[in-house]
Amino acid sequence: MKDIVQVDKISYNYPDQPLLFDQLSLDVHEGEWLAIIGQNGSGKSTLARLIDGLIVLNEGHITVDGLQVNDQNIYNVRSKIGIVFQNPEDQFVGATVEDDVAFGLENQLFDRSKMHDIVEESLKSVGMWDFRERIPANLSGGQKQRVAIAGIIALSPKIIILDEATSMLDPRGRKEILELVQRLKNENHLTVISITHDIDEAAGADRVVILNHGEIIDENTPRGIFSHPDKLRQIGLDAPYTSKLLAALSKRGVSDEKSYMNDEELIAWIQQLVSTK
Amino acid sequence: MDTAISLNKVTHTYQANTPFAQNAIDNVTLQISKGSFTTIIGHTGSGKSTLVQHINALLKPTEGHLEVLGRVIDPNTTNKNLKAFRKHVGMVFQFPEKQLFEETVLKDIMFGPKNYGVNDGEAKKSAFNAMELVGLDKALADKSPFDLSGGQMRRVAIAGVLAMNPEILILDEPTAGLDPRGHQEIMDLARYLNKNKQMTIVLITHQMDDVIDYATNVIVMDKGKVVKVGSPAQVFSDPKWVYGMQLDLPSSAEFAQQLKKAGVNIGQLPLTIDALADRIVRLVGKGDTK
Repeated sequence: MKDIVQVDKISYNYPDQPLLFDQLSLDVHEGEWLAIIGQNGSGKSTLARLIDGLIVLNEGHITVDGLQVNDQNIYNVRSKIGIVFQNPEDQFVGATVEDDVAFGLENQLFDRSKMHDIVEESLKSVGMWDFRERIPANLSGGQKQRVAIAGIIALSPKIIILDEATSMLDPRGRKEILELVQRLKNENHLTVISITHDIDEAAGADRVVILNHGEIIDENTPRGIFSHPDKLRQIGLDAPYTSKLLAALSKRGVSDEKSYMNDEELIAWIQQLVSTK
Repeated sequence: MDTAISLNKVTHTYQANTPFAQNAIDNVTLQISKGSFTTIIGHTGSGKSTLVQHINALLKPTEGHLEVLGRVIDPNTTNKNLKAFRKHVGMVFQFPEKQLFEETVLKDIMFGPKNYGVNDGEAKKSAFNAMELVGLDKALADKSPFDLSGGQMRRVAIAGVLAMNPEILILDEPTAGLDPRGHQEIMDLARYLNKNKQMTIVLITHQMDDVIDYATNVIVMDKGKVVKVGSPAQVFSDPKWVYGMQLDLPSSAEFAQQLKKAGVNIGQLPLTIDALADRIVRLVGKGDTK
């Protein structure tokens, strides 16, 4: 599989701060959903900003779809990446929902005759076309994130970065946004990098990387990562619900089953225990 | 138990007397006991934030009245003379770190007490006490609040409210955007203030597990009305009703529901992981369950 993002031995520190990344390397495969998890301050969002060229590295290289992230390539690099930020309030410019989506296209000097169709198509794909004449400020958190995603889809990027994009939403809004991104990913052959401390969001990824104090301390499938719930807790993250229930059962002497199970697997396992007692 | 907060047919209409008039809360009557840990839950836009902003008279009712710590607030209440009252009702808004403004952490936390005429020495003492309560290292006192991490900034903002030593503490989604550890620390702080400082806690949350783990009382809101009041067990006893309110069940109840659907006879819905584990152990007929 081709690597769409290559982070090669990068070093970075914020002004007057100690080194956050020291020789960090990471590859993102084309078409995968990669979750980068870690607690507040672990460097997750900084990494996203470096990939998008919003901040500049001290050392090393980052390549996005074959282009090195530098001054010369910056606009081409950014045209390949769309970022959904944590707080939707911080990313609106248009007076109405459709203006906001059109803004990005105008900025890219898009052909006006095509613009209307693209805005319509993008808003429909996130289920917000009926809200096109509304003021973004008056929408709910989940609706705002949908509009932000429409603005990104309109520019047909290759990579979407979700930078804690669901952390301010209620559980329902969170689930809906993740389902939406999953669908858009499949329809548009996107690569998704989701930066999160929500274990349920990570559970839906193809691959998970744990970042702690600027270092990658683990990298695996969600199943592999969740098989060590203690490790997750040590770095301030939560264990998946099924791991907690298994632990409570093993404490009660039911079984010493230690491997990770998702909801369906754990239900089937309990069903079997109960029926064969 | 004594009543700390009592609402009597309170209605609040935004943009009253215009075509855009909208009842954000509608004819709400309820009591909140002194020393309780009350959570308010409800779908986005159900009126939770509007409701709690009446408790410190930030909003006044358009109709009806409420009584908070003996003070009556009605449509005619003016902001005059409210200062002394507000000192007793601490309010932590959503994303309170956005309200930080001082040069140093200490100055920011001292601002509240000083605003109430407390002298520098006393204000400093209250500020350091509050820093200790929220778990902020003393060494941070002279730093700019804007150099701190998001989680630390939130603690500074909460310390600023606690430095006034309120009797009632209102928290509007205080853990939104925090990582799991930060979340638990803030929730444990609320429990500590409730148990050890006898503060009445009113918490707005979207996290049903927090309702189970921390609350004594629950108020459910829907479209500006209070639709249910009770203990966590009472409120979550009917899953269909809970889903109808566009709310979720606590994780353990949700998982138990799935087990039920798969044909496992789980019985009454367990609300905690321990209750669910006990139930499964009994069904399996192993282990040392009572």
